[in-house]
Amino acid sequence: MKKRILALLLAGVMALGLCACGGGADEGGEASAPAEGGNVVAIAMGSGFDTMDPGYCYEKYPALVINACYETLFKFYSNDGAAEPCLADTYEFSADNMTLTITLRDSTFASGNPVTSEDVKFSLERVKNLKGNPSFITDTIASIDTPDEKTVVLNLTQPDSAILSKLTYSAMAILDSKVVIENGGTCAEDASTADTAQSYLDTTSAGSGMYVMTSYKPDEEIVMEKNPNYSGEATNVDKYVIKIQPDANTQMMTLSGGDIDIAMNLTKDTFAEVEGKDGIVTEAVASKTVSFIMMNMDEQYGGPVSDPLVQQAIRKAVDYAGIQAICGEGTTTPYSLIQTGFMGAKGERSTDYTNVEEAKALLAEAGYADGFEIDLTVCDLAMEGILLSDLAQKVKDDLAQIGITVNIVPQPWAAGYGDAYRDGTLGFTVMYWGIDYNDPNVQLEFMPGASVGLRAGWTAEMDPDLAALYNQAMEATDNDARTAVLEQIQDGMYENGPFVMIAQAPVYLGYNERLTGVEISDPYVVDVTLINVAQ
Amino acid sequence: MDMLKFIAKRLLYLVVMLLGVATLVFILTKMIPGNPVTAHLSQRALNDPEVVAAFTAKHGLDQPYIVQYFYHIRNLLQLDLGTSIRTNVPVLDELMRAFPATIELALFAIVMAAVFGIFFGIISAIKRNSIVDQIVRAISVTGVSIPSFWFALLVMFLLYYKLGWFPGPGRLSIAFSAPAHVTGMYVIDSLLEGSLAKAWDAFMHLVLPGSVLAAFTMGLITRTTRSNLLDVMSMDYIRTARAKGLSQSKLITRHALGNALIPVLTVIGLGLGNLLGGMVLVETIFNWPGVGQFAYQSVMSNDYPAIIGVSLLVALNYMVINTIVDILYGVIDPRVRCS
Repeated sequence: MKKRILALLLAGVMALGLCACGGGADEGGEASAPAEGGNVVAIAMGSGFDTMDPGYCYEKYPALVINACYETLFKFYSNDGAAEPCLADTYEFSADNMTLTITLRDSTFASGNPVTSEDVKFSLERVKNLKGNPSFITDTIASIDTPDEKTVVLNLTQPDSAILSKLTYSAMAILDSKVVIENGGTCAEDASTADTAQSYLDTTSAGSGMYVMTSYKPDEEIVMEKNPNYSGEATNVDKYVIKIQPDANTQMMTLSGGDIDIAMNLTKDTFAEVEGKDGIVTEAVASKTVSFIMMNMDEQYGGPVSDPLVQQAIRKAVDYAGIQAICGEGTTTPYSLIQTGFMGAKGERSTDYTNVEEAKALLAEAGYADGFEIDLTVCDLAMEGILLSDLAQKVKDDLAQIGITVNIVPQPWAAGYGDAYRDGTLGFTVMYWGIDYNDPNVQLEFMPGASVGLRAGWTAEMDPDLAALYNQAMEATDNDARTAVLEQIQDGMYENGPFVMIAQAPVYLGYNERLTGVEISDPYVVDVTLINVAQ
Repeated sequence: MDMLKFIAKRLLYLVVMLLGVATLVFILTKMIPGNPVTAHLSQRALNDPEVVAAFTAKHGLDQPYIVQYFYHIRNLLQLDLGTSIRTNVPVLDELMRAFPATIELALFAIVMAAVFGIFFGIISAIKRNSIVDQIVRAISVTGVSIPSFWFALLVMFLLYYKLGWFPGPGRLSIAFSAPAHVTGMYVIDSLLEGSLAKAWDAFMHLVLPGSVLAAFTMGLITRTTRSNLLDVMSMDYIRTARAKGLSQSKLITRHALGNALIPVLTVIGLGLGNLLGGMVLVETIFNWPGVGQFAYQSVMSNDYPAIIGVSLLVALNYMVINTIVDILYGVIDPRVRCS
């Protein structure tokens, strides 16, 4: 018996030895040649999502897949552009801006079914009634009429200046209603409990986009192949293999090694590693994700930072240039509430804005000439790979210059921080805000009386003039009027209020030079329907 | 008959223990600050009472804790682990998806650790205090003490990125599509599919993460084998055997190794149990969609059905492995069987 055990052990050693010596590089070489014909592009992207059902999609990365496999009524064809018709052919607002009438262009789902107004009604009502994370996007849609197969009428609850942008959102993707209903889908009012189509939509897509999702393995990979029934002009990429690689170092190595073509989650350090390498193109631009300091206006929670003079002192003491250096190339500091890249944005806050002496004087005027001690709560999240705790440390150092002693209190998001943040009981914190739909109106939530404003105890009554601008901005459908209101709001919050916008996070992208049309996209991460392989 | 009694006792113990684990984890998840509503719903959705109400009703979170507990235990007794709050998919399905990837990697790692660990342990004991012994001991200490996330990045950087000897992260190269699901273990499924190239590719993808995971257990096995073999070699019956004129190799293989391997089996069993629980950092770096990543994400989102599911799986692993180890004790040393 013992002899046999020993023999087995020795055989195992030899087998493993042979395996370890067996040319890994050669095998790697064999594998790197595409086994199937056509242009295959491999993408590495981060994790943090759990479904590919558009009705539940809210996180950042599914937008890449949804945009490729589904079409929406409107779409952003460039990152800084306006929403343009996609499945919509023409559209018209009523005189009171309470109705939006859309006629559909001819298009076909991957199943071969034509796209009709009933599909649009089904898709939008399903999102609303699923009562999931993205349901809020339909809040201003009161009802949907379908007078004929090609006409959709959206009846709104109020004029909505962002409605076209909202209709570009992933959750507003138009689904093949016949296929989805066959697989357990419903748009009825009880959809939150009755709809069972998620499991189907997690295995394949049911849209009219350029690609069809043929495989989704959570935390592993997503495969998309050309939609043979696509009605638009397709690019020359036949297949996308998306590898879920949360680690930036892994993405850097797989991009450099040629195993992937696009790395979407490089960090400052890994970006520097691939920058300038042969065959790799790099891009670093500011995203619309913004980090901010929040100081609670309610003295019960904010203590000294609830004083507007102290808030202004902190605004003056923050070293914006230093924060940009921490975040890395491509970081900007927005002028005020609205990030650069959005319609109506007033650009950047000058790094000369920092003035420690002025900050000290403001603090003395507030009655804190000798400074004070305060807790700054920070959670375990990261903004585009930048730890909020790193930003909190920088704020601590900056405020020490004016005599404020900051004690950093770490608290996990899921273990209390999230509740306190939502309930408005956090006194002083550094947090970040990622946009959901691509429109400046998402920033208006920071205004007095709006959802994020209330988290800082900033009620509409505290600043009625500013609060009044909220509704004006929400309802101004004329672009010039809208821009004027947005500029007024930014000026109104430049040196006022409980928020200090400290950095607009950079996004680092690296891709193989054989690709063209690769660009960072705020709504779609990267718009894969614009990518071609250079011939 | 004795064996049947032994197995029946073990099974009863298993059921009681699993219910105990489920109860304990349920209480602990409820004691942790925060709740799955905040963890799962977006900042926007949290502002909408209708969405919050729909979410809590869907996952039974609107019920008192005691009712939630009894529902959960009732479902468990029907072998229903509930539905993941995070993914909206039955927890059992999620575990069936993630566990084969972990089993495949863990088995590779434990075989590697056992083979090299025992081999190095024997060499080290035979060549006690020689330069070979010193080198082997240095390797085993390094294996035990090196942080796995750092070692993972190191081997990836060196053996994949710089030298290109092994494939990169993931379970298969881009050129291959995943094999049809039979066992969920890509090497076996690829062989069943008849694709040797794919099976080899899947096997090669195991080498780097498997080596990283094997390092710690291998270090322990080496040290345990060495010290136990040295203890056994100094016993009277070995001295007697040596006096009879037996060669060193016969002494070790026929008389010493069997006794020395008993504690090693325990180490291997514990190591395998540990590996089957999933290794978050290594799985993340090597893009390995196993139980570790699933557990981490479940914990981060307070997804208590998933957390309880993973805990039960880990407990079950240890129970099964310990039972197998107990049986193997008897195989290696008949005295254990008699007792």
